[in-house]
Amino acid sequence: MLNPLKLFQPTSVQEASQALVEFGAKANLYAGGAELLLLLRNGLIDAEILIDVKKIERLRRLDSLDGTLHVGACLTHHELATNAPIRERAPSFAYAESQLANIRVRNQGTLGGNLAFNDPHSDPGTILLVHNASVTIGNAKGERRLALGDFFLDMYATALEAGELLLEVEIPSLPAGMTSAYKRLHRYQRPTLGVAAAARIAGGIVADARLAVGCIGPKAQRLTELEGKVKGVPLTDTTRIFAEQKKYLRDVLHPVDDLLGSVEYKLYMTGMMLGDALAEAAGERRPED
Amino acid sequence: METRSSFNLTVTVNSQPWSGEVAIEETLLEFLRERLHLTGTKRSCESEVCGACTVLIDNRAVSACNYLAFEANGKSLFTIEGVARGNELDPLQEAFIRNIGAQCGYCTPGQIMAAKALLMDNPNPSREQIAEWLGGNICRCGAYGAIAQSILEAAAAYRSKKEIR
Repeated sequence: MLNPLKLFQPTSVQEASQALVEFGAKANLYAGGAELLLLLRNGLIDAEILIDVKKIERLRRLDSLDGTLHVGACLTHHELATNAPIRERAPSFAYAESQLANIRVRNQGTLGGNLAFNDPHSDPGTILLVHNASVTIGNAKGERRLALGDFFLDMYATALEAGELLLEVEIPSLPAGMTSAYKRLHRYQRPTLGVAAAARIAGGIVADARLAVGCIGPKAQRLTELEGKVKGVPLTDTTRIFAEQKKYLRDVLHPVDDLLGSVEYKLYMTGMMLGDALAEAAGERRPED
Repeated sequence: METRSSFNLTVTVNSQPWSGEVAIEETLLEFLRERLHLTGTKRSCESEVCGACTVLIDNRAVSACNYLAFEANGKSLFTIEGVARGNELDPLQEAFIRNIGAQCGYCTPGQIMAAKALLMDNPNPSREQIAEWLGGNICRCGAYGAIAQSILEAAAAYRSKKEIR
C-alpha cells in the first residue's frame, strides 16, 4: 500500500517548474514511476504530491537535427529500443535499452526518469557517455544544456537544481568510421556491470577510442586516461592493457563489495569486458543477443 | 495550483467498460484484486521483478503492482480472466495444461499474459526470443522448459487460426 498521494499534471515546462518550487519537498516528479513507486512503497522517500510530467509535449520529442538525435525525457525504454531511427543511428544505445530490466519495466520506465534517478545499477547512461550525449534541463525561466558526464554527480544525485527538470537527451552521431558497443553482465535484472566502447580502427591499430563503465561504483564514468593508453596500439594488444588496469579502475570507479560480487571480481570482469566491448565496437565480434 | 487526490477513471477491463473514482495512490493490482475481485493477477514481489502480476494495457505488458490505476484511463486492460472465451480455453491455456507448464501455478497468470504480449508483438518467436521476453517472469518451480514449449505450441496454434486475441 502506498501512502495517500495527490496528483498535479502540468502541460508545460514552466508549469512543472513552478509546481516544483511551490510544492517543494512535498512533491516528486513522476513520469513512468518504475523507480519512484518502488521507493515510495518501501518508505525510502516520502512524497505527498506527484507532478506527472507526461502531459508535457516537449518531453515526448523524438527527432534528428544535424546528425544529433533529440530524445524527449518521457519516452519509454521500449519506445527507444524499437525506434527505427535510433536503431539505425545509435544501435548500441537501442541494444542497451532492449536489455534493460524486463519488458514490463521497459514499457513503463522512461529514459529521463532513469537518468534523473541515477541509480548506479543501470544501463543507458554508460552507453550514452561514449556517444558524448548531453542533456537539456529546463525551469520556468529557460533551458541549459550540459554534458551527461557533468549531469551525473554521484549515486542518486544529479546536477538538477531546485525547480529544474530534465527535458531531453541529445545523442550526437559518432565520428565517421567510429562504431560503438555495449556489454552487460547481470545475474539479476539490475546489471552488475555495464561496459561501453566506441572505436575507430585503422590498419589494425586503435585510431580513436572511447570507453565507459557503469554499475560497479557510484556512477557511470568515461575512462579518458585509459582511452589515451589504447590509442595508437594494435587492437590485439588492448586485452592485455585492460587486464593490467585494476588499480586505475579501482581509483576511478570506486567499486564496492555487495551481493552482486566482490570488488576483485568486478575489477577482473571490467578488464575482460572492456576488451570484449572494444573488439565488438571494432567489428571483430558480434553482439550475443 | 490545483492538485487532486482522486481520479475519475474510465477503463475497459477484459472488454467490459468500467468507470469510477480511484485514489491516486491506488495501484492497478489493488484495483483489480480488491475493487473488481479479479484475483487471477497475483501479488508477489511488488518490485516489478517477478512478473506474477503481469497484465496488458493496450496490449503491452506491465506490472500491476507498480502501476497506478489512474494511468489506465482511456485504455484497454486485459487480465488472465479475459483470456478464455466462456468455456473455451485459449491456445496458451491449453498448451500450458498439455505440457504441465505450471507446477504450483502461482506465476502462471503472469506467464500467460507475458506470453500473450509476446505473441501480439511477434507471432512466430524462437525459443531464444521466448526466453529473453519471459526473462522477467520468474517460476520458482522451474517449469521454464515446459513454459517455453507451451508458448511455441500456442504460437503455432494461433498462426493456424490466423488470430491472436
